Amino acid sequence: MELAVLFGALLLLLALGVPVALCLFGASLLCFLAIGLPPVLAVQRTASGINVFALMAIPFFIFAGDLMYRAGIAERLVRVADATFARVRGGLGLVDVGASMMFGAVSGSAIASASAIGSSMAPLMREKGYPGEYAMNVTVTAAIVGLLIPPSHNMIIYAAASGIGVSIGDLFVAGIVPGVVTGLMLMGTAWVVARKLGLPRGTFPGWRAFASAAIYAVPGIMTAVIIMGGILSGIFTATESSAVAVVYTILVGALVYRTLGWREFWQAAERSVRTAAMVLFIIAAATSFGYALALLEVPAELGELIGRMTDDPVLTLLVINIMLLVLGTFMDMAPLIVITTPIFLPVAMDVGVDPVHFGVVMMLNLGIGLITPPVGAVLFAGAAIGGVSVGRMIRTIWPFYLTLLVALILITYVPALSLGLVHAWNG
Amino acid sequence: MTAWLSRWLVRLGAIGLVAMTAIVAWQVFGRFVLSASPSWTEQAALMLMIWYVMFASAAGIHERFHIRIALLEELLGDRAGPVRRIVSLIVAALGLVLAIYGVQLCISVRGNVIPSLGLSRAVAYFPLPVSGALMTWFALEQTLGREKD
Amino acid sequence: GCRSRLAGTFLAADAQPADYPTSQAVEWMGRYLEQRTGGRLSIKLYAGAQLGSETETLEIAGFGGLDIVRVNLAPLNSIAPLTIAASLPFLFRSADHLHRALDGEVGDEILASMRPHGLIGLAFYDSGARSFYNTLRPIRTPADMRAMKIRVPGSDLYVAMVNALGANAVPIAYGEVYQGLAQGVIDGAENNWPSFESARHFEVAPYYSLTRHLLTPEMLAMSVTAWDRLTGSDRALVREAAQASVPVMRQLWNARVEKARSTVLAAGVAVNEVDIAPFSALMRPVWDTFVSTPEQASLVRRIVAMGDDA
Ligand code: NA
Ligand code: NA
Repeated sequence: MELAVLFGALLLLLALGVPVALCLFGASLLCFLAIGLPPVLAVQRTASGINVFALMAIPFFIFAGDLMYRAGIAERLVRVADATFARVRGGLGLVDVGASMMFGAVSGSAIASASAIGSSMAPLMREKGYPGEYAMNVTVTAAIVGLLIPPSHNMIIYAAASGIGVSIGDLFVAGIVPGVVTGLMLMGTAWVVARKLGLPRGTFPGWRAFASAAIYAVPGIMTAVIIMGGILSGIFTATESSAVAVVYTILVGALVYRTLGWREFWQAAERSVRTAAMVLFIIAAATSFGYALALLEVPAELGELIGRMTDDPVLTLLVINIMLLVLGTFMDMAPLIVITTPIFLPVAMDVGVDPVHFGVVMMLNLGIGLITPPVGAVLFAGAAIGGVSVGRMIRTIWPFYLTLLVALILITYVPALSLGLVHAWNG
Repeated sequence: MTAWLSRWLVRLGAIGLVAMTAIVAWQVFGRFVLSASPSWTEQAALMLMIWYVMFASAAGIHERFHIRIALLEELLGDRAGPVRRIVSLIVAALGLVLAIYGVQLCISVRGNVIPSLGLSRAVAYFPLPVSGALMTWFALEQTLGREKD
Repeated sequence: GCRSRLAGTFLAADAQPADYPTSQAVEWMGRYLEQRTGGRLSIKLYAGAQLGSETETLEIAGFGGLDIVRVNLAPLNSIAPLTIAASLPFLFRSADHLHRALDGEVGDEILASMRPHGLIGLAFYDSGARSFYNTLRPIRTPADMRAMKIRVPGSDLYVAMVNALGANAVPIAYGEVYQGLAQGVIDGAENNWPSFESARHFEVAPYYSLTRHLLTPEMLAMSVTAWDRLTGSDRALVREAAQASVPVMRQLWNARVEKARSTVLAAGVAVNEVDIAPFSALMRPVWDTFVSTPEQASLVRRIVAMGDDA
């Protein structure tokens, strides 16, 4: 009954065209009332949904990306990348995949990656004749791959939630090959789609011009070096790196390139605040919605269902994957890991699945959930940042969804992709 | 009036974002360069984030920038007027919920102190009822069709 | 699901996983209530922080959105000032000392002080002793900690304690600790045996020094909203069930500590005992800062006195 209220209200409000954040807020509100809980609960969950330190990376990376665009830093980077891949049709798409993957890998957050790469690269890809939705489809799907490549705080959450002492080190190593394989598959898809759309080749400006462009791009390239170096050498955390990126971009834009004045600075800040509000208001309200799902024990009941259905390993993994994909369309990643790991992991281990392998499968699966409606934080962030409608993205994203699904099947049924390196590593 | 208010909400939000950048940068500087981690930075930055997200979210109702699925309106085309009115009414109602129960939340947590800041938790949460009330105002104006867009 | 909320099922939340001693004890309390009332009263527990962090569940219980919460005293410090008296560093000498204080009048006064904050204190659970672990060297004297970057929870008391010991308190989120240790953002952190083990921090911090600086207990509390709905005899029964779950919890806790200790030792972590005298000598200014009312001072005096009897 309460479940019907929750999903009925959500789907109705979404269909009418109410802002997504308010759909989630309203649906959870009605569900709480049906259970007999006070309405103030929905407000409290929404407020504490924004009160999360790691979420700060979202406004910071959106801000840094916008500043890089306005100060011309991103353009200098893209010019070099464009010249490098001049012979490849849709070469910028491949560059975008690589950049998003690397960014997602280091920042550990798919949404931070979509924020940073999306707000700096997407406008430039548009100027070069790439459709906005193509740029964002590539960006959001590649950002998911970063979840598999270490470091990954979601894997740490998984290890803690497993309750059986899965080694975080093993999980990190296990994610590398699946991450690279999935990334290469996405590059292939980006290339095929680019050919189909007849996207432009770059123009090679000659070696002299190339070299001078590369030199001008150095301060921009340093942004990536500073972020990665700072995180890996322990000067700052992944979340803090996003604020450092903003400060560095301001310094380079204002003092080195001298392209960033007060006007551009405040324009960037105001635009970033709008984008950040769109994304964070949804995440906040999704916290209230997730609370309702947890109260109704939806994940636990699904776990029991699988146990009753089958004890065949291939089928069990298939059913778990399908259930996680379905849950992932409604809930966000971190709460889903916490709630579903203690339910699904024992079922998987009963049929002989290695917990480290299962962790990798879960990361990719729930990562896909981040870009599927109705609750796809990364998809929404992509739409907001790229200035394209969610509808237009969804209509054109399916080749990328399909690629991720194939990768998921591959990683689920070829454990060696995850465990091969772990075994080699541990001797 | 509402256009002016909405613009100022975004402007305030931008100031909040810039302040938050400075605070977190100071946190890194303090720990790495001064070897003294300021303990107030994390909570102060979080509080600013709640403020500007909620203020800008209210502006988002006026500017209609929030993400939504506009399929039905696209299908109805010229006849979408009544649907838009219903949506505005729903937004107004939910804004009212946010306003009323946001006040209740602030009252309920007023005695809880935010560690390291020494401020009441209600200070962090007050933008929720304010934003809710503004959403209701903006949405009602859209329902009454006084606003041109 | 929780379909029978108004029909006697208490909604309970715990930030620890379902197999943790605190969660197990609350489940036990629920079974106790069911048996005594023929199923009229029961508890539906949501473990593993499904319903939010400890600070969040306290807020929710405060307005009646949850019926029972199990939290550490640390997050209660910013809500109910008397809890600070039982949260001071190097206050309790041993688990025995802690039990003597909390099982008697001192404990009752702290539990009773929750009411103005929308909560009814029911019982105290153990949380073991917190000690420092780090990536650099064994800590034997405060000098070994000088300028070490030690992660603390977002609590003023922890910040003051670590800074008073000569280290550099770094308040970062718990979820960032593992990576922070691995990459050197922080040099160390502090926690009890079970958390050191279950969060896998021992994989990256090979030195665990038994300073036992905090034995801050856990509290089991009910929201006033739920409490006011109960009849007088049901209230007595809820208190009885909570008290009865305490020895069960302590037994589970000790077993859990043993298990965690053997896992950590097997992993090759260097564990050392510490003479705490030079550490606790540095705590005077910390105590003076945080004990600000006569009520707090009286509790602290009585707790300290009980330690001397042993
Ligand atoms: Na990663
Ligand atoms: Na989703």
